[in-house]
Amino acid sequence: MSTAKAAHPKLQHHFVSMEQQFDASKFGMWLFLVTEILLFSGMFVAYTVYRVWHPEVFEALSTALDWRLGGVNTLVLLASSFTVALSIHHIQNDNQRAMVINILLTILFAGVFMFIKYLEYSGKFSHGVFPGEAYAPFGDHYGHYADVPYAPQFFSIYFVMTGIHGVHVLIGMGVFAWIAIKGSQGLFSSEYYTPVELTGLYWHLVDIIWIFLFPLLYLI
Amino acid sequence: MAHAEHAHHITPFRTLLGVFLGLVFLTILTVTTSRLDLGVLDVPVALAIALGKAALVVVFFMALKWDNRVNGVVLALGVLFVSIFLVFTLFDTAFRGDTSNVDEVTIKDAEAELAAPAGDADHGESAPAADH
Repeated sequence: MSTAKAAHPKLQHHFVSMEQQFDASKFGMWLFLVTEILLFSGMFVAYTVYRVWHPEVFEALSTALDWRLGGVNTLVLLASSFTVALSIHHIQNDNQRAMVINILLTILFAGVFMFIKYLEYSGKFSHGVFPGEAYAPFGDHYGHYADVPYAPQFFSIYFVMTGIHGVHVLIGMGVFAWIAIKGSQGLFSSEYYTPVELTGLYWHLVDIIWIFLFPLLYLI
Repeated sequence: MAHAEHAHHITPFRTLLGVFLGLVFLTILTVTTSRLDLGVLDVPVALAIALGKAALVVVFFMALKWDNRVNGVVLALGVLFVSIFLVFTLFDTAFRGDTSNVDEVTIKDAEAELAAPAGDADHGESAPAADH
């Protein structure tokens, strides 16, 4: 597509064409995403092992988490994935303004997600529900979990999985902020939008992780 | 690189919107089914819906449907190794205590005998000691 024209300023000398450069970057991103899947799989395996050992504990404790907050956060993250997909759709059609608007909407949705996560965490911390050794629940909603065996393991798994997921959301917000700035300066076009595409892939993977976390922790 | 010259696939707006609405529907569905008591089906149903949602995101939002085949192979290999990780860990943890036991009764049977009234305790005690 671009080989016949003069070289694009973003084309690096070791690539034949923008297309080849794009494909190579995307391939590298998929390899990185697989390492991300493997990172989270360690935690999913830990969850599965504890659940197989103590199914009744995990079933009982899923009610300790508010499915309404988790559900709203699921919808918010799905919406953010939708806006990311739209932003790529628009930049492929050279609509820079629509791309930036959708990226900003994505950052907004991610912010809502992190705010709800903050409410959930602070609600637990204020009732002594901490990960690991500090676990000492008290009060109305959490007090009766103090003597439930393996409840600390459930909450530790909850905090570590949602915590590392939350860090990924924060990193995504940062990268999207950079993309929104660069996009508003006109850096991206249908010829060159690799950073938007790759960050989009990352964001969709973070969404998929949450798609599994939500039922496993909040529902069943 | 046979198609190096072709233009990128642009996913139509209607497709993206349809996928998003499908994901919202499946989210409502998984919440609804989890609030019914499906017994042993609770976990499989929730996981099946989550897998369906993940597939929608991968195929349409991540556009793997129209992407170079090699990226799909990378993802499939990742999923394969996660499966190996999970299944082989469970081979250990889900059957721990029984696999290396060469006694006539399994550890679980021996534990049940230990828990039973003291009259029959002789046989039961030897079994756990023989293991590990």
